[in-house]
Amino acid sequence: MTSVITSVCLLNYKDDSNLLVIVIDTNPFEWEHPSAPLKLNLALKHILAFMNAHLAGRHDNRLAVIASHVGASKFLYPTLNEPTPGSKVQTKKDANVYQVFKVVNDAVLTGIAKLLQDPRPTLEEKDLGSSKIAASLSLGLCYINQALKSDGMGHVKPRILVLTVSPDSSSDYIPIMNCIFSAQKANIPIDVCKIWGEDAVFLQQAAHITEGIYMRPDDPRGLLQTLMFSFLPDMFSRSYLHLPGQDEVDFRAACFCHKRIVDIGFVCSVCLSIFCSFSPVCSTCRTKFAFQPLLPSARRLGAKAGASNPGSPRPSSSSTPSAS
Amino acid sequence: MSKFQTSIHEYLETLPLQTFNRLYQKPATCLAIFRLLPPLGKQIIMSSLYVDAPIPVADMKLWFKESTGLAKHKEAMQRLKALNIFADERGNYTMNATFLEQFRNALTGGGNSLSFGLATSTPDKHHVDIAFLDDYATKQWEAILHFMVGTTEGRPPCKGVLNLLGRSGLMTGGPDTPQSDSMDARDFANQMARQDFGVPKITHKGFQFLLQDINTQVWAFLLQYLNMAESLNMDLVEVLTFFFQLGSLELGNDYSSETLTPTQTHLLEDLKAYGIVYQRKRGSRRFYPTRLATTLTSGTPVLLGSHTNPTKLAATAAARKAEEEEEDDHGFIVLETNYRIYAYTDSPLQIAVLNLFVHLRDRFPNMVTGVITRDSIRRALSKGITAEQIITYLTAHAHAQMRKNSPILPLTVVDQIRLWEIEKNRLRPVASWLYSQFNRQQDFESTFEYASELGVVLWSNQKRRMLCVSTEGHQAVGAYVRKLITKHREQQGQQAQQHQQHQHQQQHVTSVAS
Repeated sequence: MTSVITSVCLLNYKDDSNLLVIVIDTNPFEWEHPSAPLKLNLALKHILAFMNAHLAGRHDNRLAVIASHVGASKFLYPTLNEPTPGSKVQTKKDANVYQVFKVVNDAVLTGIAKLLQDPRPTLEEKDLGSSKIAASLSLGLCYINQALKSDGMGHVKPRILVLTVSPDSSSDYIPIMNCIFSAQKANIPIDVCKIWGEDAVFLQQAAHITEGIYMRPDDPRGLLQTLMFSFLPDMFSRSYLHLPGQDEVDFRAACFCHKRIVDIGFVCSVCLSIFCSFSPVCSTCRTKFAFQPLLPSARRLGAKAGASNPGSPRPSSSSTPSAS
Repeated sequence: MSKFQTSIHEYLETLPLQTFNRLYQKPATCLAIFRLLPPLGKQIIMSSLYVDAPIPVADMKLWFKESTGLAKHKEAMQRLKALNIFADERGNYTMNATFLEQFRNALTGGGNSLSFGLATSTPDKHHVDIAFLDDYATKQWEAILHFMVGTTEGRPPCKGVLNLLGRSGLMTGGPDTPQSDSMDARDFANQMARQDFGVPKITHKGFQFLLQDINTQVWAFLLQYLNMAESLNMDLVEVLTFFFQLGSLELGNDYSSETLTPTQTHLLEDLKAYGIVYQRKRGSRRFYPTRLATTLTSGTPVLLGSHTNPTKLAATAAARKAEEEEEDDHGFIVLETNYRIYAYTDSPLQIAVLNLFVHLRDRFPNMVTGVITRDSIRRALSKGITAEQIITYLTAHAHAQMRKNSPILPLTVVDQIRLWEIEKNRLRPVASWLYSQFNRQQDFESTFEYASELGVVLWSNQKRRMLCVSTEGHQAVGAYVRKLITKHREQQGQQAQQHQQHQHQQQHVTSVAS
């Protein structure tokens, strides 16, 4: 009798179709930097092969690709705004390629070509933000939400993969954190592959909080192997596999006032906003602090700005303001 | 689904290495076989696809978690080795070179194999749309099923189908079709098959067949076709390649039949009869795959008409899916916890299938009602249908309203159906040896002790000095008893020779409470 029941229950844990949302960082300033170990067009070949591998896994595996460009973020596949019937006639069928792969690959390649043809963004914009990771994450989450809603059976297993090269833009801290918590709530793991460069602090936290995978490959030129080995397994396979984890996570946050990444800062006791320097009124929730903090200069703590003072209830310092 | 997967797997695993090497020359075939693998098997292939050196066995084990993954790893590797994708060489796993190359080609679109179907270059004057193809496929396929359950609806299927039905043991007998003037191997086989049959009649296997989902049914047909192809001297590799190629085609497009080999052209004719492909007229240069074909290698049971085309826009696809589900007549069964069943259907086929395991009560213009009883289930079980098949059928055809529940079917009913099946299997035959007529209690006891030490005792009775031993234990216990007898003889000389020890070999039926 028990075996009958358990067998019924086990059916619910089968591997299901996967919805993978890939966010590709297409920031040309990083990709075409002379020191870049991998050019975008070469990396794209790797990424396309990886997409095909994902689609090859199951016939009902789904894919969405979002380009996170400088100053814009755009769906490459599926293209929502443009009518496809016209393009369908144009694509010449190739008997050597699986049709499903071809449709996706063509859409991604033309989409990126179009993005890069656009007039180059001015330098000011570059200073503002490297690439619109937060916007792309939001788009991806919305897309997943829509896909889950339209799938009545609830069998689709979504996940997000961020392929990034740009450094963190601290101005994006709040939107990125919001995306991370939404993803955590919706049980959507965010995988992050930082193809080269410094560790991306916020995305590292994203992977940690949503139980995704964060990785910075040793050699960016072997991107495809990294993708295939670590990022291809779906949630079902991951329960059986050893996958790269993170030993150390950088939990630093960016302050809300100057968008600087801080180790130690001031936290509003009402809304938990983070500031790098003391202000008598919280800029987020307008709470007034009717006291003077023990300023670090008075305590001669030097560089350690805003060190905690156990005697005073606020301002409290926190090294992990993001912990919820 | 699992049944079809195992069946195609079992079939593939019987093939020799040479056949595999030829099969793997086509990227489409590689992709299709890849999709049939268990999830971790797929991951192993993907992980090692771009590793150029052979992978040490011990290294690959490290990929998996000790607690949960190793069993899965073993299972997946077994499959991969059976399909000749991986070979174990001196402690290293190496991937089949042909498979490696062609699978890479499949992913990157390289090579020049034209295995994904050559699209016709000119537009078709008589273009048909997806709705037409669905209609065509459903009509053709249901004609076969209707014929099987003996309803008069639709025209009887053609000779090739009848032959296949007879061959596969789904039906016995074949009608006396007029002798065709062209006497090829197929007709010969047909004639041979006809000789020992009278009236066509559905078999137990046929009933089981009806309960499967369409995908399984199609594969069962195709596997039978493969078995037949061997005897008809058709090239197995070409047939399989064509099947797998069909699975990779896109619904609603027309493909050119010019690149096909003569064998495959012949195959096309047969598949047309099953509703798997559509061709406007015999010898036409183009053919359309139907939904039956495009979902062949999907690995999931896809009901006719409720399939979303992955290349379509997500938004429109979702809308389309909802539309299709409304007109889709496959989810029509409502099952209640009180064992009552309401089926919204007027198709004689569906009703005939339901009648296999449901006690039908009332019939209305658009629905039938009935109740599942112990008798109705037992009737089905006696026809060789298993509880699992009934449950799968009910799940697959559950009404949209039922699908919102989790689990879809009421647990009480599902469990009861399983229990009714277990009830039937209270007796389990085990081949065994019976030792009886021990003259002395101590002889019996020492033999019993010896046998129970070996763990081969199936049943024993102290009072009647009877002992039942499994076949594996017979040799040892027999030798022991013989030794006992000779010992007695030595001790007692010629005194009493009444120590008779009989061994009876008989098929003993041990009753096991379930």
